[in-house]
Amino acid sequence: MMKYVYLCDNSIDGIFTAIYQAWASRYGHANIKIEAKCENSKYSNIELFAEYIMVNTDPSLSEKVSNSIKKKISREAFEMVCRVALSDFEGKADLIYRFLILGFASGNSIMENISQVVVNQMLRINKNVSNEVHHLLGFIRFSEQENGLLISVIHPKNNVLTLVTPHFADRLPNEKFMIYDDNRKVAAFHIPGNSWVIAQVPELNQKILEEIPEYEDEYRALWKTFFDHIAIKERINPKLQRNNLPLRFRGDITEFRNSNTV
Amino acid sequence: MVIQESMSIQKKLEVLSDAAKYDVACTSSGIDRKGNGSGMGNSIAAGICHTFSADGRCVSLLKVLYTNECIFDCKYCINRSSNDIARASFTPQEIAELTMEFYRRNYIEGLFLSSGIIISPNHTMELILEALRLLREVYHFNGYIHCKAIPGADPVLIEMLGWYTDRMSVNLELPTAESLKELAPNKNRKNILKPIRQIQLGRKGNREFLGLPDFKEQPKLIIEGTPDHDIKEIITSDTGIVPFKNKTLGKRRFVPAGQSTQMIVGATKETDYQIMSVAESLYDNFDLKRVFYSAFMNVNQDIRLPSTEQGPPLLREHRLYQADWLLRFYGFQAMELLDEERPNFNILLDPKCDWALRHLELFPVEVNRADYYTLLRVPGLGTNSAQRIIMARKSAVLDFNDLKRLGVVLKRAIYFITCNGKTMYPIKMEEDFITRQLVALKDQIPHGIDKDITYRQLSLFDDVNFQIDSRIKTRQASI
Repeated sequence: MMKYVYLCDNSIDGIFTAIYQAWASRYGHANIKIEAKCENSKYSNIELFAEYIMVNTDPSLSEKVSNSIKKKISREAFEMVCRVALSDFEGKADLIYRFLILGFASGNSIMENISQVVVNQMLRINKNVSNEVHHLLGFIRFSEQENGLLISVIHPKNNVLTLVTPHFADRLPNEKFMIYDDNRKVAAFHIPGNSWVIAQVPELNQKILEEIPEYEDEYRALWKTFFDHIAIKERINPKLQRNNLPLRFRGDITEFRNSNTV
Repeated sequence: MVIQESMSIQKKLEVLSDAAKYDVACTSSGIDRKGNGSGMGNSIAAGICHTFSADGRCVSLLKVLYTNECIFDCKYCINRSSNDIARASFTPQEIAELTMEFYRRNYIEGLFLSSGIIISPNHTMELILEALRLLREVYHFNGYIHCKAIPGADPVLIEMLGWYTDRMSVNLELPTAESLKELAPNKNRKNILKPIRQIQLGRKGNREFLGLPDFKEQPKLIIEGTPDHDIKEIITSDTGIVPFKNKTLGKRRFVPAGQSTQMIVGATKETDYQIMSVAESLYDNFDLKRVFYSAFMNVNQDIRLPSTEQGPPLLREHRLYQADWLLRFYGFQAMELLDEERPNFNILLDPKCDWALRHLELFPVEVNRADYYTLLRVPGLGTNSAQRIIMARKSAVLDFNDLKRLGVVLKRAIYFITCNGKTMYPIKMEEDFITRQLVALKDQIPHGIDKDITYRQLSLFDDVNFQIDSRIKTRQASI
């Protein structure tokens, strides 16, 4: 039997569109594979005996898929699928497809079948993304600019910007802020009185990261002072610190940096 | 030391965060509160850690003292009045500004404000109250605030403070009244318990007023605590406690995230059993959210206190926290874990393993049938694992591979569970065998706190109870 590979955009809409088309094609689930075009192009393993189908993202088809997930499985499952779609796991598109095959057949009870291999993997990835989001709620650092704009630069593993920003929009309703995902060149903007937006920013003006007003430096110094003095000498434990605050986050955290840019 | 009037804010922060670091609690948990759309701040029930200091502890709140001047002379405290150290005080304005600016930059989740006692408990409380009023009413700060209530302050002040804070705590400092008298002569155990009781009643009244459910999370198997004398007196006679009035404060909540307390471990001769019993009766009688344990450090090099040159008793502190979790989430009771004959925890084994080894008659447990609380008593299974097992076995009969896939850690559990009536390997249900296997596990003693275990060469005369027979002694004497 011929194998069909649906190649789609690496986004929730892209993956959902591919799922809709694959399902509607009636080629049979076993003969279908869905692949998201990977963000970091390390992946290019094209299969020989397969037909590649390019998927053009179509929001209306994607919405149909979201609605059926909410209706036939549950809101909770929908949120999980979205988080998995935002993860950096390579086989995520196909995994979601396999999960939905099971889910549409058995309804919400699929969420309790956690020893099932597909469901289990979904839950793991879901947790991984949720954990990174939770970490970033604490580890994001803002720097104030002369004009009052708060800027933060992050390097997350997963595409978490849409999951992180609502928290800050709720927390800082009267602040202009920007969170920049340097790995994906995407930024979230918030302006008081408006809802926040996400935009592609292929090239961030490095100047705005370097021009830091004097009082910003003072607050950083104050924070570093606090950070250094709050540790108890007799209990120093770098291993525990590394467990709790993995090194990969530290490049973006004020108190672990020496340079004075954002 | 002369108090410098014109100390820079940098220097003050240095002195006052240094002085506050021995306070353990730095959690920002217990309350979900959305932003109000105008002020700044919200709060998340799980709490958020913003960074981790070099000692590996979570930094969630801006933890500072209002002042480190103090009229009290507690022997264990770095800020005691007889110490010659740099003293500093913030102003309410400085605290409020620092908190707001740190919060905007997402350095912190809120403020933790404690203080030395300046002039009198009431005076100190008024200063703290002014700082919090500024934050809440002038700066419209809507984030997390944890504040210490000063024992001995007027109950009216404590209540006023309660309306501004999310969590309040009064430090018990030491488990028994005797050791408190010995080390903190200016403090009085009843004065400490009174505000705890007041806050408890206030919270209860406020929850009833707002129609919020009054939930106790964990049903205990047997509730038959024996609270000590002071605790009994405080909870039976509410003398000196201002009855809480339901004021028309709209939907404002009184200490919504509950209260906690803290005890110093290792400064006095109390056993682990005494400490755990006190903690248990605090949880049962005062509805505390947390009891924190702080390994004693002889910061003053005081000759009347035990030396901590080998480092603070971190392993003991660790075991107490493990047992504390068993009390709060696992349905254990202090008297199950320890008793008068064995009043201290095993250094080599965690409290649950230790308990299980003494109760091998209850094991092995069948994973596919045992109820939740039975699963929780299996060493190596926590609340997450137990919940996952219960959920997963609805749709499948579980074997050991399934357990692994669920993320259940088996290295301890394999000695205590069966899947479909079979253990993973043939296992002798024998105490010595299982003890040997468990002690050999590396994570029994966490890294970084294993320095208070020392090894020595085995010798033929290694019996601890080795004593020279009295008859031999007399014979030697006669020779």
